[in-house]
Amino acid sequence: MSLLVALPIVTVFFGFFETTSDYFSLLKDTFLLKYIFNSILLLVGVLFLSFFFGVGAAYCVSFYDFPGVNFFKWGLILSFAIPAYIYAYSLTAFFENYGTAFSILTYLFGPYEYNAFIPKLDGLFGSILSISFSLFAYVYVLTRASFYYQSQNLIDVGRNLGLSSKKTFLKIILPSARPAIVVGLSLVSMETLSDFGTVSFFSISTLTTAIYNAWIAFDDLGSANQLSFILLLFILFLIFVENFSRRGAKYHSSSRGGFVNRQKIRLRGIKSFYAIGFCSILFFCSFLFPVFQMIYWTFKFPKYLHDLNFLSIGFNTLLLVFLSCSLMIVFSFISNYGNRVTKSKFLELLTTFSVSGYAIPGVILAVAFITLVSYLDSLVFMNFKTMFIGSVFGLVIVYFVRFFALSSNGIKSGYLKINKSMDESAYLLGYSKFKTFTKVHIPYLRNSVFLISILIAIEIIKELPITLILRPFNFETFATTAYIYASQDLLEAAAAPSLFLTSIASVFILFVSKYILSDN
Amino acid sequence: MKKIALITLFLTLIANLTFASEVNIFSARHYDSDVQLYEKFTAKTGIKVNVVSGKDKALQKRIVEEGKDCIADLYITADAGRLGSFQAKGMFQKANSTVLKKAIPSNFRSPYWFGIAKRARVIYYNPSRTNPPSNFSYEDLADPKYKGKVVIRKSNNIYNQSLVASLIASNGKKKTAEWAKGLVNNMARKPKGNDRAQILAVAAGEADYAVANTYYIALMLSGKKGPEQQAAAKKVKPFFPNQEGRGTHMNISGGGILKYAPNKENAIKLLEFLLTKEAQQHIVNNTFEYPMIDGVEPNKLIAQFGLVFKQDLKTKVSKYGKNQAEALKIMIEAGWE
Repeated sequence: MSLLVALPIVTVFFGFFETTSDYFSLLKDTFLLKYIFNSILLLVGVLFLSFFFGVGAAYCVSFYDFPGVNFFKWGLILSFAIPAYIYAYSLTAFFENYGTAFSILTYLFGPYEYNAFIPKLDGLFGSILSISFSLFAYVYVLTRASFYYQSQNLIDVGRNLGLSSKKTFLKIILPSARPAIVVGLSLVSMETLSDFGTVSFFSISTLTTAIYNAWIAFDDLGSANQLSFILLLFILFLIFVENFSRRGAKYHSSSRGGFVNRQKIRLRGIKSFYAIGFCSILFFCSFLFPVFQMIYWTFKFPKYLHDLNFLSIGFNTLLLVFLSCSLMIVFSFISNYGNRVTKSKFLELLTTFSVSGYAIPGVILAVAFITLVSYLDSLVFMNFKTMFIGSVFGLVIVYFVRFFALSSNGIKSGYLKINKSMDESAYLLGYSKFKTFTKVHIPYLRNSVFLISILIAIEIIKELPITLILRPFNFETFATTAYIYASQDLLEAAAAPSLFLTSIASVFILFVSKYILSDN
Repeated sequence: MKKIALITLFLTLIANLTFASEVNIFSARHYDSDVQLYEKFTAKTGIKVNVVSGKDKALQKRIVEEGKDCIADLYITADAGRLGSFQAKGMFQKANSTVLKKAIPSNFRSPYWFGIAKRARVIYYNPSRTNPPSNFSYEDLADPKYKGKVVIRKSNNIYNQSLVASLIASNGKKKTAEWAKGLVNNMARKPKGNDRAQILAVAAGEADYAVANTYYIALMLSGKKGPEQQAAAKKVKPFFPNQEGRGTHMNISGGGILKYAPNKENAIKLLEFLLTKEAQQHIVNNTFEYPMIDGVEPNKLIAQFGLVFKQDLKTKVSKYGKNQAEALKIMIEAGWE
C-alpha cells in the first residue's frame, strides 16, 4: 500500500534521464542557483516564523493563565482555515497601489498620493508572511498537545533542582516536546517547498516555479523531473534530519503519575500584558486581517456573492473531504500498526518514502497520476482512464498520495506516546494483536484521529492544483472558484468563495476543537 | 470501506454519463461572462454545455494523455501561441465551416483553430509626466535613455512570450536578444504582479511606461475594481506602439476542435455561435476585448482610445507558438526573471 502511494512519485522520476530541450543547462547557467537560494530562503524564513509563532503561542496558553487564554487556545487554530494563497490575495489587496490601505488613509486623512508611503508586503517577504501565518498552527497544535501531556513530575524535578522558569523551558519543556515540534516543522517545510500558488502569485522564482516553467514553457518533462529530483533531495534531507533528531530517544512517559494535572501559573501585570499582546497580534494577523479583507470585499462588491452557487460547491467540497478522510485514516492505521508490530526496516523505509508525496507540488503529482493511469490503461483491457481521470474517485486517490504524510505522521506521533510495554502487557493478558489494536491503540489514539481528520479535511478544502486538473465536468469547489476569479484578476470576486471556504474550515475546527484542546 | 467504494463507483458513473446533445469544453479562459454565453447557446439550440476550466498546460496534458478516451470536444484558451503549439502536436482536427472562415480574418485563424476575440498588448503612460513620441515602438523600450522607467511582468507570462515571439519573427533572434538585455536594464523594478499592477505602477509614479494588455485599463475604468482604481486608471493612457512600422502586437482568445471530439458538430455550432453579432457584443462588453467580426464595436471604454490604430497583421499569430520557447530562452538569458 505504501508502494501505491510511492508509484506516482516514481513516475515523476521515470523520465529523469530524458530531456527534450536544453532548459536545464540553460537554467544551470542562469537562474538555478538563485532558485535554490530562494527556496532555501523561503524555507528558513517560514520555519523561523512558524517556530516562533507556534511554540510561543503553545507555551503561553499551556503554562500560563491570563485574561483571554481560553479564547486564544482555540482562536489561534483558526488560521488553519486560511490557505496561504488566499492570505496572499488579502495581503496584496490591502497593501498594493490604490489598495485597501490607500482607501483607509484617504478616508481618514483626505485624498493624497499615499502609495509611496504604504509598505509593499509582496515578493519573498510577502510569501514568507503568507505561508507562515497559514501554517504555524501545525506547530502550535502539535506542540500544545505535547506540552499538555508533558509530565508535571519532570517539571517539578527541574524546579526542585533550582532551575529558573526560563531554564525549565529550555532544558526540560522544549526538549521533551521535540518530536511534536519536529513533526510540525517538517509538515510546514514540505508544504512550503511544494507551494506554488503563493510564490507564483508574488512572482518569486523557486524550484517549484522552475519545475512548472520547464514543463509549461518548454514542454520538457525531463528537465522538470531533474528539478523535481533536486526538490526531492531537499525533502529526503528533511526526513533524514527528523528521524536523526529522534534517534535513540524515547519520549513516552512512564505510565504512573505521568498525567498529574498541572497548575497553570497566573500572570499579572506587565507579563500578562505581554502574553495577551503576543496572542492578540498573532490572532489578528493570522485570522482577522484576511477575514476582514474578504468581508470588506464581499460587501463592497455584493454582485459576486449573489452569483455564487454555494450549495452545489459546498456539497462537492464536503464530499471530497468525507471520502478522502475516511480512506486516509484507515490506511495510516494499517501502515503504522504494521510498522509497530513487524519492526521491518523495509516497511519503515517504504512508509518514510510514501510520505514524501506531501512535498511534491500538487501540479506535478496530478500530471504524474495522469501519465501513470494512461500507462496502466495500455496494459489492461479495463478502461482505467475514464474511471480515474476527471472523476471524484481519481481525485480522492491523488489527495491520498498528497496528504498521506499528514495522517501517517500524525498517527505515528500518537503511537510514539503509547509505551511499547503497553502492547507487551496486553499480549501477556492474552490479547491478540488485533485485540490490542482495537482495545488499546484505538482508544489511546482517539484524539489523534480527530485531530488528523480535521487537518486532512482542511487541507482538502484548501487544495487547489490537483482539484483543478483532475476534476469532472461542471465540478467546482470553493478553492477552484476562488482561483478562477483570481486568475482573471478579479480578486474581489474571489473573496466570497474564499470566505465560504474559510467559514467551513472554521466550523470544522470549532466542531472538534473541544477534542483537540480538551484538558481532561 | 465497501460502502465507500460503492458510493465512489456510483459517483464516478454519474460523472461520466454522457447525454445525447451536449458539447464538452476544456477552457483555460474562464470568465463568468463566457458561462452566460454558453447558457444562451443552450437556450437557443438545446445543446448542453459542460465545462472544465483550469490551467492551460495542465488541461492540454490531460487531453493528450486521455487520448481517444478524452470526451472533451473543444479547447479554448487565451493565446495564439498556445493554440499553435497544440496544433503542432496534432491534437486538433480540421473544422470545415464556411461561416467561421467568412467571419474571422485569415490572420486570426488556421484550419484547426479559430480566433474568438482580439486583444492588443500596448504601452501605458501617464500624460502628466511624460508623452511618448508618435513613432514610439516596442523596440524603443530597450533604449538606454529609458533606464529605470519601464515596468513589465515576468518572463513566464504567456503574453510576454508571445510579444517577444513576434519580435523574433520581425527582427530576428540576435536583435531580439539585444533588445531583451536593454529592456531588462531599463526595468524600474524586478518584474512582479499582473498586467493591472503594471498599469497601477505607472499611475502611482513608480515608472513611466508599462506594458500590458488593453482590456485591463477598461476593467479598472468600468469601476469593477472599485473607485480608487477607477481614479488611478484615469491618470494613464494606452499608447499603441509601432504605428509607423508594422503595427501594434495583437493576440487572440480562440478555440479548436479536439482530434477525438465525440460531439464535433455541436462544437462547430458553438464556435459559430460565439462569432455571431449577439455573442461578440456580449464578449466585448464583459471582457473588454476587441471583437473578431466586423460590424461590432468594442466597448466604449476601449473605443475611446481610438478604433483605427494599425494592427500588426504582417506577423501571423500562428507563428507565436513556434517562437515561444525561443522567446523564453532569450528572456531568461537576458536576466528577465
